Amino acid sequence: MAKKLSKVISGIPGFDEISHGGIPKGRTTLASGTSGSGKTVFSAQFLYKGITEYGENGVFVTFEETPQDIIKNTNSFGWYVGKLVKENKWAFVDASPDEADNLEAGKYDLGAFLARIEYAIKKVKAKRVAIDSVSALFTHYQDPGIIRRELYRLASRLKKLNLTCIMTAERPIEEGQISRYGVEEFVSDNVILLHNRLNERGERERTIEILKFRGSAHDSEEAPLLVDKAGVSLYPRPKPKLRGKGFSQKVSTGIEGLDELLCGGVYRNSTSLITGASGTGKTVTTLHFIMEGAKLGEKSVLIEFEESPDQLYRNASSFGWDLKQYVDKGIVQLICHYPEDFRAEQYLKVIQDLVVENKAKRVALDSLSALQRIYSEEKFREFVIGLNAFLKMHDVTSLLTNTTSQLLGVTAITETHLSTATDNIIILKYVELGGQMRRLLSVLKQRGSMHEKELMEFEVTPTKGLQILGPFEGIENLMSGSARKIQLKFGEEDAERDFIAEAAAGRI
Amino acid sequence: MAVKYVLKLYVTGQTTNSIKAIENLKDILKNGLKDLYSLKVIDILKNPQLAEEDKILATPALVRVLPPPVRKIIGDLSDKEKVLLGLDLTTE
Repeated sequence: MAKKLSKVISGIPGFDEISHGGIPKGRTTLASGTSGSGKTVFSAQFLYKGITEYGENGVFVTFEETPQDIIKNTNSFGWYVGKLVKENKWAFVDASPDEADNLEAGKYDLGAFLARIEYAIKKVKAKRVAIDSVSALFTHYQDPGIIRRELYRLASRLKKLNLTCIMTAERPIEEGQISRYGVEEFVSDNVILLHNRLNERGERERTIEILKFRGSAHDSEEAPLLVDKAGVSLYPRPKPKLRGKGFSQKVSTGIEGLDELLCGGVYRNSTSLITGASGTGKTVTTLHFIMEGAKLGEKSVLIEFEESPDQLYRNASSFGWDLKQYVDKGIVQLICHYPEDFRAEQYLKVIQDLVVENKAKRVALDSLSALQRIYSEEKFREFVIGLNAFLKMHDVTSLLTNTTSQLLGVTAITETHLSTATDNIIILKYVELGGQMRRLLSVLKQRGSMHEKELMEFEVTPTKGLQILGPFEGIENLMSGSARKIQLKFGEEDAERDFIAEAAAGRI
Repeated sequence: MAVKYVLKLYVTGQTTNSIKAIENLKDILKNGLKDLYSLKVIDILKNPQLAEEDKILATPALVRVLPPPVRKIIGDLSDKEKVLLGLDLTTE
């Protein structure tokens, strides 16, 4: 049986997850990417975290930027590389271009380069090496054959010294060859690709992908990579465990009449989508749900994009709920942000961290539409699916809202990916009836359970919040927006009267 | 007469390339250089830290420190014409 390849923790958040433990130990891993894909930061972070968090000193070989530039640029991540150099924990091998050009007059090799690296390794007793980027070597020397041979020699030498190395390489374009000059063919069995693409919204999107780790398991899908003030982080998509806990126990939505329609509430760890036009009562529904949990002592996370905390507290207190008290006590974790504040991957991470830290049992997000507005379709779908998978894994009951653009009439009730990613769908709707705007609630689906299919009338009152009044009786076409009273007797032509004007289906 | 040329030759141990480079350089200097020069041969395997200063990666490497500008010639110096060109020497 083959010995399992051991790995070293990379120090890059999320990478150890997708790589099932980190960078292959005692090997060289090639990180190839187009320009601006984050190669330099990635390799520098591998060294920096190695030193500061895992006590493994490192050597940084720089071909493009000078050591001074690297020190200055990584300073913006709060890293003090200069200090580590003084402490003999980080050593540079400066291979950045100088003014003097190389004139070639006869046979040569890169013996000096190898000797300098070995010298630096001994000097700081390094365990990690980062080389950024080897492609530059090919531009400095005329004979690519020599460079290939010497890089192979370097990789073998590092292996013998049991050093873990990240070697970066340039990739000319996103699709096509793995690296310029085919570096991967002779230096490494382990290849990581760093992608840098424009999405359909013209935003730059970086991802990382492990192409191969010889003799070792890893994820094969791309994980989004973000560079922020702390360096690079990966945001791998959460993986739902197939062996999920079966639906068994029901929990209350906090609205008595709705629980009845759902035959006892929603299943624990299910996701419900509340969809409706602006002002139909989605936010109050989420408040019912969160307050119900809070009263039972269940911790929750409430993500609110539509209102500020003060507005929300005021809103809640008008229904007689002291939301602020629960937020202050830490029972409800309230996130009020502009949706633009974070990228999709970061939002997912923020929510995940809060759920895990607080062992939250309920999550409500109001509304998904705010995110849909700013994310690309693909990102949005990934967000919803990722969130849903995560919540299921952590046994969290959730409620998400969705704002439909039409006030009345027929709308595509839910986007396809929303409806498949959620277990339950509840529709809130305005109906114009008898010269009045009235409100309708209906349970469209509940996965794995019976539910009442009637169209119910509801109202939102200051004292009771959302209250189900009873079914709309004797009226048809409610869902189309042009409701009319069903004719009870035939032959009474005069009695045939429209109770309803044509619904004006306009955008808000 | 003052020293006009300051040269450094970097080698890595006693390799074929190292030995050839030293021989070739001595030959060039004997025949082609009328002025006074100083030459220092540095073995990077013995003194790797000395290679940092001139950012030497490939060896053998001949560096003309003086007169400015700094010139760098790599290889076993078997292409003598190139060496002379690189050192900016004209043999009369």
